[in-house]
Amino acid sequence: MIRTLIIDDEQHARDEMAALLADTGEFELLGTCANAMEAIKAINRDHPEVIFLDVNMPVLSGFDLLGMIDQERMPYVIFVTAYDEYALKAFEEKTLDYLLKPVEPDRLEMAVRKIKGALEGGSQQSFETHPLTRIPCVTANRVRLVDLNQIEYVHSDLSGVHVVGGGTESYTELTLKILEARSSLTRCHRQYLVNPDQIDEITLLEHGLAEIRTRSGRRLPVSRRYLKRLKDLLSF
Amino acid sequence: MKLAFILLQHLAFFLVVAYLFSKSPAFRPMVRLAEDPLGQRQKLFLYFIFASISIAGTYFGLSLEGGEANTRAIGAVLAGLIGGPFLGTAVGLTSGLHSYTLGGLTAFASGISTPMEGLLGGLVHLHLVRRGQAGKVLNPGVALFTTMAAEVLQMLVILALSRPFDEALLLVKKIALPMILANGAGSALFLSLLRDLKGSRDKVGAKFTAQALSIADQLLALLSKGFNQETAQQMAEIIRRETKVGAVGITDREKILAFSGIGNDHHRAGIPIAAEQTKAAIRENRVIYADGKKDPYQCALSDNCPLGSALAVPLRRDQEVIGVIKLYEPRYQLFLNLNRSLGEGLAALLSHQLLRSSYDEQKNLLVQAELKLIQAQVNPHFLFNTLNTIIAVIRTDPDKARELLRHLSNFFRKNLKRSGDLATLGEELDHVRSYLEIEEARFGDRLNVDFEIDESLLGLVMPTFTLQPVIENAIKHGLAEIIGAGTIYIRARRENGLAVIEVEDDAGTYQAPSDDSGLGMGIVDKRLKNQYGDTYGVNIEFSPGEWTRVSIRLPAPSGGRS
Repeated sequence: MIRTLIIDDEQHARDEMAALLADTGEFELLGTCANAMEAIKAINRDHPEVIFLDVNMPVLSGFDLLGMIDQERMPYVIFVTAYDEYALKAFEEKTLDYLLKPVEPDRLEMAVRKIKGALEGGSQQSFETHPLTRIPCVTANRVRLVDLNQIEYVHSDLSGVHVVGGGTESYTELTLKILEARSSLTRCHRQYLVNPDQIDEITLLEHGLAEIRTRSGRRLPVSRRYLKRLKDLLSF
Repeated sequence: MKLAFILLQHLAFFLVVAYLFSKSPAFRPMVRLAEDPLGQRQKLFLYFIFASISIAGTYFGLSLEGGEANTRAIGAVLAGLIGGPFLGTAVGLTSGLHSYTLGGLTAFASGISTPMEGLLGGLVHLHLVRRGQAGKVLNPGVALFTTMAAEVLQMLVILALSRPFDEALLLVKKIALPMILANGAGSALFLSLLRDLKGSRDKVGAKFTAQALSIADQLLALLSKGFNQETAQQMAEIIRRETKVGAVGITDREKILAFSGIGNDHHRAGIPIAAEQTKAAIRENRVIYADGKKDPYQCALSDNCPLGSALAVPLRRDQEVIGVIKLYEPRYQLFLNLNRSLGEGLAALLSHQLLRSSYDEQKNLLVQAELKLIQAQVNPHFLFNTLNTIIAVIRTDPDKARELLRHLSNFFRKNLKRSGDLATLGEELDHVRSYLEIEEARFGDRLNVDFEIDESLLGLVMPTFTLQPVIENAIKHGLAEIIGAGTIYIRARRENGLAVIEVEDDAGTYQAPSDDSGLGMGIVDKRLKNQYGDTYGVNIEFSPGEWTRVSIRLPAPSGGRS
């Protein structure tokens, strides 16, 4: 059974896709997601082998989503779209396959064969990644895209990843690892990324530790391991 | 007293000069004297005119013992009055020097007094201009008193400078009164003649302008109904009636469309163009004029045609000749220059109007075409998503699926309506409801719709596809772009004598259209403004993150509350 996730903002489209997948008898459906935020969370949590991904979704499109997932956890991607204007782009992004809505069962069978081949071959998908300039954040039940230059720092704890900046603190589904790899945010501690543009002062402490003060006066710890990199970056 | 009469007789000479002067180009600036100062060239011209008049005054003078009675002052004073102190003094100096060379008892006094008289005229000119009464320099009364004052001055100068004083006194006693009267009257008559001529010229100009505008008005009204045989006939009759030429003909490129006036027994509508002149006007795209003398006009249709001269003016639409307007006069009648320029002007005006109406037509076609494009653009994505939704619904709720298919077919049937048609608000709402039923099925809980319609507006008439693109935008660029639920409010009400339809959503995602996203709305606005005028159309307000509100303003139907 192939562990799979359906991502589509329309309820009926998710239901139909689920029914079609069930008819093939090849898939274990881990869940369905109504938007990219839910999808990032589900992918990071459930590690699906393949996702059926709608292109047109609110706030973050299917393409945006791919840029926010860790390469090591990247499932195989089958795009599902109502209109073929995205087809070309989908191939550029080296997705495994794409399906047009309404999906024909025969066409789905073909996709299944491709998925199986890829899973057996263990071939790696590589997506061109673009640097993130806006980070999707949840505040008060609303998803908004926060400009990177407004962010002071990001830190993770047991409850998740917190984005601090612009006078507010919000929550994101993106991991520190992805944020570090795809943006100009810099690691200063196992649990902290800082925006170098927002650093006001660095105080060196005993035992090779340090402390950053951001422009708004917040203090972040710098661990020994990352201090040298920070020094190189800021050349001091 | 006899002397005064003789001098007055000489005035006839000045009146002839004044008349000739009024025909010269130098007269033209007089008309605008109140506004602009004279140019250097005109001043030079005036200098020669008035110096000649003044010197002629000396020659026409009557020699008396040791002196003379003359009308030299008129030229100098008028030069000063009309051209200012500098011109007046210059003319006076010229004429005074000339008089001095002739010698005599008063020779020296004349040499001094004539420039002074010119200067006096000039000072009066300056005074009037400074007080903002420049128009008064052409006032005969002003000329009368200024000249009389100038002559009194001259008499005083003669008495002061001429020796022996006794002879001078005797002379002055004799000539003072006749010269003061004659010169004053001469200046006044000269100016009054100038003024009358200027007035009559203005009147002719005004009458001609009024006539041209009246013809233009009537012709433009006709032309807006199209350029065809019927309107051409009416246009020909209007032109003939207003210009009173012998006959007027209008042709297209091949045949006579209309003819009115002398010779209509053989110049008839529908006959192919025979006149070489008309053919040349079409071929060479220029005005052709046969004055009947140098270039004889001979009717190509009949040897007995009474028409003797003709003007053929091409009628153009965007550089291309589409016909000719012809003005004719019979053999015994002169072709007036006035009518010649009027004919050419009218053809230019009509050509301009033709270009404009073809441009308007094209613009309208463009709007229609754009609208067709928009209709075609929305379809695929919406259609396939809808079909996908219905396929899913069939599994769980076949009745609901049947209902959705009926809405889909209603929606597409309404979409097939011709975009130039009109629809009532009721019909537009029916179209929109089918669309919204489908979108509600697609988006489920995420989409709520709220109607608030003034029932008395259901008969409100508007172009088809006024409402649908606005609502589609509210979903496509509004509610479909947010995570979570939203509501779309559709309201119709009367406001300040207008009918207002509002489409509001609480997605708050409005962004000024950068590419094609705003195209649909732009076209709706353009069509409403085309149809009803600039007061009406589409207006967008928004508050980022909160709401977007599109208001459509239409003329309210009569009846109902306001």
